[in-house]
Amino acid sequence: MYVDKSIDEIRTSLDNQEVTGKQLFKEAIDKAKEMQPIYNSFVTILDEYQQTKGKTVLNEIPYALKDNFSTKNILTTGSSNILKNYVPVYDATAYRKLKEAGAVLVGKTVLDELAMGGTGTTAHTGIVRNPWDKTRLIGGSSAGSAAAVALGIVPFALGSDTGDSIRKPASFGGVVGFKPTYGRISRYGLFAFASSLDHVGTFTRNVKDTAYVVDVLKGQDEKDMTTLPDDSISYVDMLENEIKGKKLFYIKEACDIENYSDSSDEELLETLKNFHDKLDQLRKIGFEIEGVSIDKNLLNAIYPAYMTISCAEATSNNANLTGIQFGPRGEGKSINDIMFDARTKGFSELIKRRFILGSYILQKENQEKLFLNAGRIRRMIVDKINELFQTYDGMIMPTSGGIAPKFGDKTDQLSDRYLILENHMAIGNFGGFPSITIPSGFVNHMPIGINLTGRVKEDGEVLNMAYKMEEILGMKNIVAKGEKHV
Amino acid sequence: MITKEKLKDYAGKLMFDMDDKEYETLQQEFEIILKQMDLIEKMEGIKEVEPMTFPFPLTHVKWRKDEVTEELTKEEILQNTEAIDKDQVRVPKVVE
Repeated sequence: MYVDKSIDEIRTSLDNQEVTGKQLFKEAIDKAKEMQPIYNSFVTILDEYQQTKGKTVLNEIPYALKDNFSTKNILTTGSSNILKNYVPVYDATAYRKLKEAGAVLVGKTVLDELAMGGTGTTAHTGIVRNPWDKTRLIGGSSAGSAAAVALGIVPFALGSDTGDSIRKPASFGGVVGFKPTYGRISRYGLFAFASSLDHVGTFTRNVKDTAYVVDVLKGQDEKDMTTLPDDSISYVDMLENEIKGKKLFYIKEACDIENYSDSSDEELLETLKNFHDKLDQLRKIGFEIEGVSIDKNLLNAIYPAYMTISCAEATSNNANLTGIQFGPRGEGKSINDIMFDARTKGFSELIKRRFILGSYILQKENQEKLFLNAGRIRRMIVDKINELFQTYDGMIMPTSGGIAPKFGDKTDQLSDRYLILENHMAIGNFGGFPSITIPSGFVNHMPIGINLTGRVKEDGEVLNMAYKMEEILGMKNIVAKGEKHV
Repeated sequence: MITKEKLKDYAGKLMFDMDDKEYETLQQEFEIILKQMDLIEKMEGIKEVEPMTFPFPLTHVKWRKDEVTEELTKEEILQNTEAIDKDQVRVPKVVE
């Protein structure tokens, strides 16, 4: 088996002619098909190998793509009934770049419908199960990509991240999940959810592989005016840079164990203990890490502000899904009736609720109190983090306050509980900061992760720090065994 | 409290419907988020902050000329359409 190895190892095997690209492709799709009945990572598993002639390290390396990236002539559903037969007529830039680099697509992965959700349970093709325990979810929305990498089906996969949709499932799946700076990777051809928060990013099993993939994907794209000019830096070449003296902060209100003295949630307490133990180890290799305080009212405001902004943007972005030009036709006597029927049948409950919230927020009479106030919170938290980044090189946090929940224990229904540890990662989307999750240990036999967020445009510095951390965290290249189809 | 009728009206504007139970869940969600946004409105100094709509200012973006560089064929455009009539998307008559 090669596909469960690192990109470096697979590259060496290819270069030494121990294995061919075609054999790797077959290995990946065989494993994908074997695991599919239980874990349901894929919407589409491809069956035809396309010979590649890329000149990069990724040449002939298999990978998977979230099913919200446009792929010409390959079914792309957004995991929604309203697009269940949609076959794009153009390629997303990220996909085109990987093709040109020689990487070999093996399949399109399941997401929460139209990327709006955090559980991996709302796709039109069914729930995605966690490779470490099939009674648990893997999180979302990039659920299938996280599971495919965790299962060792492919060495890397692409996802998209609007609030934490790469970094949370990466943590629940024991893999590395990276969301670079906003605009670092083109969004052209990615189905838009909330355009001011959407990022393209990666899943891998180690940080060096992340750098390999992002080195291929980054760069300005004339088809996405928000993309950043390529800084001509190779992130792989920066990985070995010295990190001694790098200063990091964590948010005390969310991370100090004494704040949870009345909690009986053992998984939360174990996760925090792991976090502080790992911080001690990171200090020993030269990181300077300390806690800082941030106004709790501001921290509590992150999630409602995120919901407000993302639902408003999503409502507008998805107005084109009518079943007229594409998608299953609705029934009815007028155009309005047809669209009404197509949208009623085509969307599941969760995203309908989100769209209504978004529409309400955008009504003229509600904009000041809801939409604009959410934008104000966004600026306040981003300004605070940027102020801290004048002193510190990064923010380090537990990715989540626990392990992957069991099915039924977590839903995407809005909660009145303020869960800062569950929601802090939206900060990375608010400010467009590069942000990476690295596996950091196990609690109750389930993986947990640490998240590192850095200054805007300093993707190389974040990957450099993460690379050094990974050696200490001791979870590099882990693969979930996964039960075979029975 | 937002009534179910009001929510149904918003859903109608978005051109879909939900069942009663789904509207009840949404009512609960509305109550929560509006309460949370009430608290946000009371935060000190919030009105003086300029709302943020984008992660950071982009200084390198230049407007490009509007030039046709790529075109889709008629077949490609209609590829995903279920109802076609003489190279056009077929819909019911708008004017009787």
